Amino acid sequence: MNLASFAARNVLRNRFRTVLTVLGVAVAVVAFLLLRTVVYAWTMAADFAAKDRVVTRHKVTFIMTLPKRYVDDVRTAPGIKVVTFANWFGGKDPKHDTEFFSAVAVDTKSFFQVYDEMRVADADLERWQTDRSGAIVGDVLAKKLGWHVGDKVTLESGIYPDDPQNPWTFTIDGIYTAMAKSVDRSTFVFHWDRLNDRIATRGQNEVGWIVSRVDDPRHVAETSLALDRLFDDREVQTLSQDEGAFNASFLAGFSAVLRAIDVVSLVILVIMTLILGNTVAMGVRERTNEYGVLRAIGFFPRHIAAFVLGEAVVTGCVGGVLGIVLAYPLIERGMGRWLEENMGVMFPYFRIETSMVAVALGASVVLAGAAAAIPAWRASRLRVTDALRRVA
Amino acid sequence: MIPVRYNVRSLAVRKTTTIATAAGIGLVVFVLASSLMLAAGVRKTLGLSGRRDVALVMRKGSDAELGSSIEDPQVGLLGSLSGVRRGPRGALVSGEVIVVAAMEKLGASGVSNVQLRGMTEQSHELRPQFKLVSGRLPRAGADEVLVGQRLRGRFRGLDLDGSFDLRKNRPVKVVGFFSDGGSSYESEVWVDLDVLRTSYRREGFVSSVRVQLESEGKFDGFQALVERDKRLGLQAMREATYFEKQSEGTSLFITVMGSVVSVFFALGAMIGAMITMYAAVASRQREIGTLRALGFSRSAVLGSFLLESVLLATAGGVMGAAASVAMGTVHFSMINYASWSEVVFRFEPTAAILGQSVGFAAVMGLVGGLLPAVRAARIAPAVAMRG
Amino acid sequence: MTAPMINLRQVSKSYDRGGETLKVLQALDFEVASGSFEALMGPSGSGKSTLLNLIAGLDRPTAGTIEVAGTRIDTLGEGALAKWRANTLGFIFQAYNLIPVLTAVENVELPLLLAPVASRERRRRAETALRVVGLEDRSLHYPRQLSGGQEQRVAIARAIVNDPTLLVADEPTGDLDRASADDVLRLLETLNKELKKTIIMVTHDPVAAERATVVRRLDKGSLA
Repeated sequence: MNLASFAARNVLRNRFRTVLTVLGVAVAVVAFLLLRTVVYAWTMAADFAAKDRVVTRHKVTFIMTLPKRYVDDVRTAPGIKVVTFANWFGGKDPKHDTEFFSAVAVDTKSFFQVYDEMRVADADLERWQTDRSGAIVGDVLAKKLGWHVGDKVTLESGIYPDDPQNPWTFTIDGIYTAMAKSVDRSTFVFHWDRLNDRIATRGQNEVGWIVSRVDDPRHVAETSLALDRLFDDREVQTLSQDEGAFNASFLAGFSAVLRAIDVVSLVILVIMTLILGNTVAMGVRERTNEYGVLRAIGFFPRHIAAFVLGEAVVTGCVGGVLGIVLAYPLIERGMGRWLEENMGVMFPYFRIETSMVAVALGASVVLAGAAAAIPAWRASRLRVTDALRRVA
Repeated sequence: MIPVRYNVRSLAVRKTTTIATAAGIGLVVFVLASSLMLAAGVRKTLGLSGRRDVALVMRKGSDAELGSSIEDPQVGLLGSLSGVRRGPRGALVSGEVIVVAAMEKLGASGVSNVQLRGMTEQSHELRPQFKLVSGRLPRAGADEVLVGQRLRGRFRGLDLDGSFDLRKNRPVKVVGFFSDGGSSYESEVWVDLDVLRTSYRREGFVSSVRVQLESEGKFDGFQALVERDKRLGLQAMREATYFEKQSEGTSLFITVMGSVVSVFFALGAMIGAMITMYAAVASRQREIGTLRALGFSRSAVLGSFLLESVLLATAGGVMGAAASVAMGTVHFSMINYASWSEVVFRFEPTAAILGQSVGFAAVMGLVGGLLPAVRAARIAPAVAMRG
Repeated sequence: MTAPMINLRQVSKSYDRGGETLKVLQALDFEVASGSFEALMGPSGSGKSTLLNLIAGLDRPTAGTIEVAGTRIDTLGEGALAKWRANTLGFIFQAYNLIPVLTAVENVELPLLLAPVASRERRRRAETALRVVGLEDRSLHYPRQLSGGQEQRVAIARAIVNDPTLLVADEPTGDLDRASADDVLRLLETLNKELKKTIIMVTHDPVAAERATVVRRLDKGSLA
């Protein structure tokens, strides 16, 4: 036996209470990690965006389009490697009315060059490029709606007219998989030419947005500015942003929600501190007499403080580890899978951020120490004679 | 019955523990009540936006006004249908254009989308709650806009006499602010229809058409008339229904998120209550033995400890609910999924939400206190005699 | 004659109780010779516990000087006092005050944790102390598995394990039946006679007091 093992022995003194406290800390850690994972998953698209990709769109509003000519202008601009363009189609499968996914009309030649983290089998890609009614879909979407290569599916668009004589029917030519965490695995892409041909002459040859990859990611900001200058005196002005900035501006609309989650994740830490503090205070109260005995046989005030603090820190640490162990299956296996499949647009990758695990563990240890600070100080300052008089 | 006073005093004696436990429960209730209040705020804001005697006509298949488009001649056609109320200037029909513009947020980094609505002379008549709060109405056809009061000061340029660009070299000036009974219109910018259409190259089209019906009951007939003609390719719904549907996603998201979080938090706080109550039972063994020896039954002891736990939790719940009422002054802006533009919501404290939240706390106390109370009830009268 | 083990000069002690000053001891002179076994008796409130606390360095006098085992303890700081207690004093309480989560031998070992003693040596000394009190066969029992008399004997082993010069006992037999009390008193006598420990014992029990070499009576803060 030594001082540390003596202190450890006391952790199990009131076994039931220690177990409850550990559970309480574990639950708080799970809740904390869950909230942080929501924020992380939400903001990840911005963090993991390709640094060399620039999105060019209408300067004022995303609902307005750009002339298709602009694509060629971007292609010949200095510093640009490869360019593609797309139009938003919206779309849903009338058979699965409540499933929301993005359907986008894209340039078949260049789309998968620019988005090379979306992988399609070469044979499927070639077949799709020659099949005007073909579509490529994400693996999560295909699995959820039960689509297989070769299936025919009919979509409805909320934006483009549905003509009963000429429905939007597509053949699934291939299924893409994701090579990066930030990819939405529920997107539906098809031929831009087909969409363009169906549009009234007035709105033809317009693209929703242009995406290009630059030669040197270090100069992405300058290249973006140069693109916007190129169109400054033309009929439509543009706003070019690298993908990270584009996603960040989209997120700005949810900044209040993110801030609210931040606040709430702090609240759970406060609740955890209260639970720990309460347990420590009760332990100290019940053991006051014992602390008196220890002091009488020569232990120093700092020993008493160390016992109280050590006990709390060990409890917090065990609770933190348990919480982390519980959080992984719960968040990644359970909720994460469900969210990735059903809300892939918002949460393409719902996984615990590794650094948050360290934060959670650190918080449970540090807050346990903080919760125990006052009781520890009080216990160490007790007058021995008063402490001895106190009967548990 | 063991008198309640006994429990209240026992809680008061263990001040620190009581406060810590109650505060934990209070925080849970605060989070729960706040999220319910926000969901209610979303429902209320969007719910107030629509009227049951106004029909909203959009392109068939469109979920939102933003994606819908209707050719001008069809607007006149809709006005000629039966069931439409007529005013001094003809049928009360308003074809409006919806666009969104990216505007620079104040007090936060980045840009966000604001919904702009192109308005006709009839538009105000279809919105009887409309009120000019400050400034004046724009002149017809002028590059002047009216701004919903909830947007005031939240975006660059949205101040009285401020201006922003509709498109390059097409600035418009803010001449007034309006209210609309707390509806989501208060998060919009209203522009003259033609000014907006020329700026956004939407000549000849509107996004949606609002039709004032003679009465609520005329809707079904009107809807049948609109949807019977397949060539029109249009659909009609009550304006109120449209906004209710818009609120569904957002308020569901907030409710689900708030509830999931609250359940986790409640688990934690319940464990806290359990720890406290077990300690209370342990330190009062002799007291309990004495009560039993005096003739109080097991169930009286059980009830007494349950009551104490419920009292403790309810006290925390009341504190949390009271704190959440303060959230009523906070504005919360958020993208509305349906329109992809920012709508400013409020936390809406209702008696029902506060009641539910305190009730939730009481249940936490009941569940958390159950096992400790059972243990208390099992204490034998003989314990009173032991040293 | 050697210097006294305990030497109190003009010691006063008063407490503040709700604005009123309660004078427990007044200008008390008190001496205990080295190697004696003294019993301190007196009614409740006579100040005998206060006196014991002062001797043990658990409390400080309002006035006067206290010298115990050659050290002026009334002027020592908290830390020095704790160290002094660990080296000089052995404590025996009425309620035994064993640590419930530790076995008998671990309880005995506890004071040695404060000294720079190797863990094997600590265990050996603790076992020796348990042998002295006749409980070597109970070394792995927890306090709740022992009788009251056995608990008190473990507590005595704990008090002597660091080989103190002075044993302070506060009603050591107060919670025990007659037979167990006699065992404990016999043990104290042995410690006094054979190991030459100075013992000062507060007690209510006249039978216990008989075992002591000197009996002193305290009443209203002064020696009778």
